[in-house]
Amino acid sequence: MGWTSQDDLINQITTNGKIEPVVYQKTSVAVGQAGHWQHLLNSVGSIPAATFGGSEATFTATDNTWSEGAIAIGDQTSPATKHILSMGAGVVAAAGAPWFILPIDLVGYAKLTTTNVSTTGTKTITMTAISNTAANVDRYANGEGLRLFIGSYSAMGANAPTMQVTYTNSAGATGKVTTAGCVSTASATSGTVLNSGNAANKYGPFLPLAAGDTGVKDIESVIWGGTAHASGSVVVCLCKPLCMPIPVPATGLYNMVDFVNTLPSMPRLKNGANVTFLVFGTGATTAAATVYANFDYGWGG
Amino acid sequence: MGFRTVAQWAASPDSGKWHITTFRKAVASAATVANDFIDYTYFAGNPPANFYASAPLEAALVESIRGINIPAIDGQFLKRITVMSAASSATGTTNQNQRLLLADYLLYYPFVDTDAVGEQQDMIQSASLPRYSSGVQIMAVSQSAASTVGTFTVSYTNQDGVAGRTSQTTYTKVVAGGGALVSSTTNAVAGSQQFIQLQAGDSGVRSIQSVTFSAAGGGLMCLALVKPLYHFYSTQECRRTTSGNLESYGAASQFETVLHGPPVEIKNGAVLGIVGLGNAGTLASSVLTGILETTWS
Repeated sequence: MGWTSQDDLINQITTNGKIEPVVYQKTSVAVGQAGHWQHLLNSVGSIPAATFGGSEATFTATDNTWSEGAIAIGDQTSPATKHILSMGAGVVAAAGAPWFILPIDLVGYAKLTTTNVSTTGTKTITMTAISNTAANVDRYANGEGLRLFIGSYSAMGANAPTMQVTYTNSAGATGKVTTAGCVSTASATSGTVLNSGNAANKYGPFLPLAAGDTGVKDIESVIWGGTAHASGSVVVCLCKPLCMPIPVPATGLYNMVDFVNTLPSMPRLKNGANVTFLVFGTGATTAAATVYANFDYGWGG
Repeated sequence: MGFRTVAQWAASPDSGKWHITTFRKAVASAATVANDFIDYTYFAGNPPANFYASAPLEAALVESIRGINIPAIDGQFLKRITVMSAASSATGTTNQNQRLLLADYLLYYPFVDTDAVGEQQDMIQSASLPRYSSGVQIMAVSQSAASTVGTFTVSYTNQDGVAGRTSQTTYTKVVAGGGALVSSTTNAVAGSQQFIQLQAGDSGVRSIQSVTFSAAGGGLMCLALVKPLYHFYSTQECRRTTSGNLESYGAASQFETVLHGPPVEIKNGAVLGIVGLGNAGTLASSVLTGILETTWS
């Protein structure tokens, strides 16, 4: 449980110290492209850059102990539930404003490299379906609320193939497919969310699920169509968006959202949450951007 | 099904019943006029431009790909919309303080010739309202530059299904290109109105039968049927100066339904677009960017 009242919240914070601050800062690994989201996972900073060391075409679960870089959010609060109380963000970049910064919980990824990117067709993903247990990978029971995006983690070669993900939805129906016609971005920079962009058949930040679907339990395959990327490496990411995106109007400005005193929502931080951030750039950045975010979370009990 | 409590509403993101989508629309380089409305769907970006390009005078549905992406789910509501306006340049200051309207774009009749004086331009009813069958509003959108102020009336079927209703006399605008709203109840060059005024007693339109011009407008326009959903605004342009003391300007405007206003239903299949109203100079080459969030119970 969280808190029973505002008084309880104040008491838990001030008397029992049940609050932690978190700071995150990344310098984007490459320039951002206009109208695209970036994932920052392989960008340097605090937390370190991920290298995606998992096996090819195999789902690698990530949590708050992910060795490649995770914000150290403790699970010490159980059975009390953790909730975000406030969150702020800013960007420093020579160009590209305005931005949105969206916190997500990265549940895991499957990487595709070499011919799994440079050829079209169906690329089968090996994954144990998300279930409904106490394990961290199952922190969103049966994948309810989880979303998909495909991000580059190297500079992508020429061509923009179509891309779809086949998945099992949170109700257990297999063979569901994301929206047809969604295209990747030719020659995208590293760190780009390839399904996003500033044109037709681009969707950001997430691949649209099939009609009526509200979650993803299992990633079955990636289907590349049209003309394949000449080269590149991508990760198919499964994540839970955590709360409203933070708007950043111009370089150097900082915006903060209060989740307690506006419309109280206090987004849940599940045990094992691997919090990271996606960034939307209205314009193109001309140099690597520094993205800063911080949040406070607390717990009751 | 709607929501029974505020707690249920607030908890929707945690339960996964929540959708986030980005939009980014760049106004074309042709100058727009202060106090004139513009149709952001007409401009490039994501979602892609909606040029109302189909057979002249034939009713057509606005394609879903032209709208801000939302999931195909019943009982969906607007949860939050956040917008920022990127200045057209480091010194641009004219896209501040826009009034904005989120609307569901339903049906349109393209390529009405505003020069066809005295000729009744009959519409072909090849499609009907896909949502809001009890009637919506008519928006006149320029599909070309227009050189003079024209005058016209629209014959339509009203919200009760009564045909042969006639709009108030409406004047077009002088515009530099497509994407501007071109209706006004006066022939003044400055100022405009968002929707065509209907015959007294009517609140909505189910279909349009014809348009008749009594004075030429020198251009082409589309008559779009839209359902207005939610009013919001952008307070100032976002920009960074590039000379002298470098300074950052800008603001984001966030609107949370329930907290700031009543929840707004987004019908399954809605094609969402935005109508803007600048108040200080041209909006040309500025970019409206934002995040639209929906939720369901």
